[in-house]
Amino acid sequence: MRVLVTGATTSLGDALVRALLAEPTVEHVLAVAIEPGVQDAPRLSYRRVDLTRERAVHDLVHGLAAELAIDAVVHAAMHRDARDEGPAIHARNVDATRRLLHACLDVPAIGRFVFPGSAAVYAVRPGAPTLLDEDAPLEFDPRAPQWVRDRVEADLTVCAAMGMRHLALTVLRGAEILAPGTGSQLWDYLQSRVCLRPAGFDPMINLLTLDDAVAAIVGALAAGRSGVYNIAGADTLPLSCLIRRWGRRDVPVPGPLLAPLYRLRTWTTGRKFRYDLNARRFHLGGIVDDRRARAELGYRPSHPIRWPHDAGGFSRSGLKT
Amino acid sequence: MRRETYPTEPFHDAGHGYDLFGLEPAAVARAVAVGAPLYERYFRVASTGIEHVPRQGAAILIANHSGMLPIDGWMLWHDVVRRTGRVLRPIADHFVPALPFASTRMARVGVVGGARANVRRLLDDGAVIAIFPEGVAGVAKPFRARYRLQAWRVGHAELALRHRAPIVPVAIVGAEESWPVAARLPIRAFGAPYLPVPWSPLPLPVRYHLRYGAPIELARDYPAEAADDPAIVAQAAAKTRAALEVLLCDALRARREGRS
Repeated sequence: MRVLVTGATTSLGDALVRALLAEPTVEHVLAVAIEPGVQDAPRLSYRRVDLTRERAVHDLVHGLAAELAIDAVVHAAMHRDARDEGPAIHARNVDATRRLLHACLDVPAIGRFVFPGSAAVYAVRPGAPTLLDEDAPLEFDPRAPQWVRDRVEADLTVCAAMGMRHLALTVLRGAEILAPGTGSQLWDYLQSRVCLRPAGFDPMINLLTLDDAVAAIVGALAAGRSGVYNIAGADTLPLSCLIRRWGRRDVPVPGPLLAPLYRLRTWTTGRKFRYDLNARRFHLGGIVDDRRARAELGYRPSHPIRWPHDAGGFSRSGLKT
Repeated sequence: MRRETYPTEPFHDAGHGYDLFGLEPAAVARAVAVGAPLYERYFRVASTGIEHVPRQGAAILIANHSGMLPIDGWMLWHDVVRRTGRVLRPIADHFVPALPFASTRMARVGVVGGARANVRRLLDDGAVIAIFPEGVAGVAKPFRARYRLQAWRVGHAELALRHRAPIVPVAIVGAEESWPVAARLPIRAFGAPYLPVPWSPLPLPVRYHLRYGAPIELARDYPAEAADDPAIVAQAAAKTRAALEVLLCDALRARREGRS
């Protein structure tokens, strides 16, 4: 298998490239990102490509990827900062996905396309299931933050092409990856010594680790099946339990105060956590049901979170020391 | 017979001592201890027919519903947990998960929001669930309509057909006189359909009688595909309604005659 990986400089992309290079069945990896950061190595090529430019995508897919006989694509390039909004972000998240997908559809040699999406696409509201399977309603509320709307649009862009031509399209709707550099809202939330949550609500949260996310993508590449699959992590626990296990102080606060308090935190510290993005999840929960991925992709979450007090500690930046 | 630990059936731990819906065995044990004075001394619950509740595998309990707060559901939960060791999973109306404090407490002892995907998962996992097919219409019924079943939802019949699970009807007698609703104020707080005003500030200490009926095995009469046929589902639901009405009449007659 010869794999093109976009978003290769992100935490997920980087871990994925390493995992693919460790697979004996992977002959070559073409890593692509907009930022510098990856060195060429045996079985690994790196190119800087701006996927928002149509010509650049065309040249990548029909040029270098064709030369390297790429036969599988993992599109992991999504903008990771929830504070950023606007047409440029939409172009990165949605237009780039559409362009890359359509270019791949034109190349018969490319047989697999894996899109690591997000479980943030599901609508969480009273009356919606607590346990979200792949048929759960998506978030189509036009008032939803662009972070969510872009992910829904990109997800549906890939889903809409399923069954067209030769390409096996796999959409993985993953639970939130609790790791730095992945755009994780909860990672940023847990960096404060005191974590505020809505009083009276303690929903169940499911968390994915980078290792399990990478294992799911590698498994999807190997399976080569078209379909949508939820990817859950090995850790499902109440929000208050998560806060305490992370070594933070859990402080319940009346719900209406949380949005202004966290906006103030963003203004003063530059943190990326947005309460409006997480409000429904912090009240009602909503965890993904991964039974389809277990049955059809052979996926099993097997890398639980390494909690700060289980091994080593955390620096102020939140990284393992 | 009192048990020391709950549940006695396999608990689907999602990794941190809670199941996917937030059930916590320690909270179940605490709730049983806290509810014991109400169960034993205040409402003096007497139950018959508990042997009809399967000791393993999926099952659906259906019961009449009433009262200002779902105390009938609480006593039913308490009875099943204490007398079978299984943790009953009551299915709550859609607005319940949005209620502050109550939603979390309820989730820890096994209450699950009434979305179809949630219930399907519980039955796939072999849980015993409780559905009040009258829904909000049951708790909102006036005192004069006590023990008269209100609008009868059919979802329980569809689930029983699809999952091949037995339906156990349960007549709850006593709850409908204990804390009837005097008025419904059109205040929609936290998504609740109305704000109930009870006749008394606290529930009256009316004795509860729980009568479990023989299981209704819809799977014997219909194939699983019948779950997709609205006419068959309605027919099956009418059968469960009739069974519960008969059971309610028997339980009311037994109470009048002073039999347990």
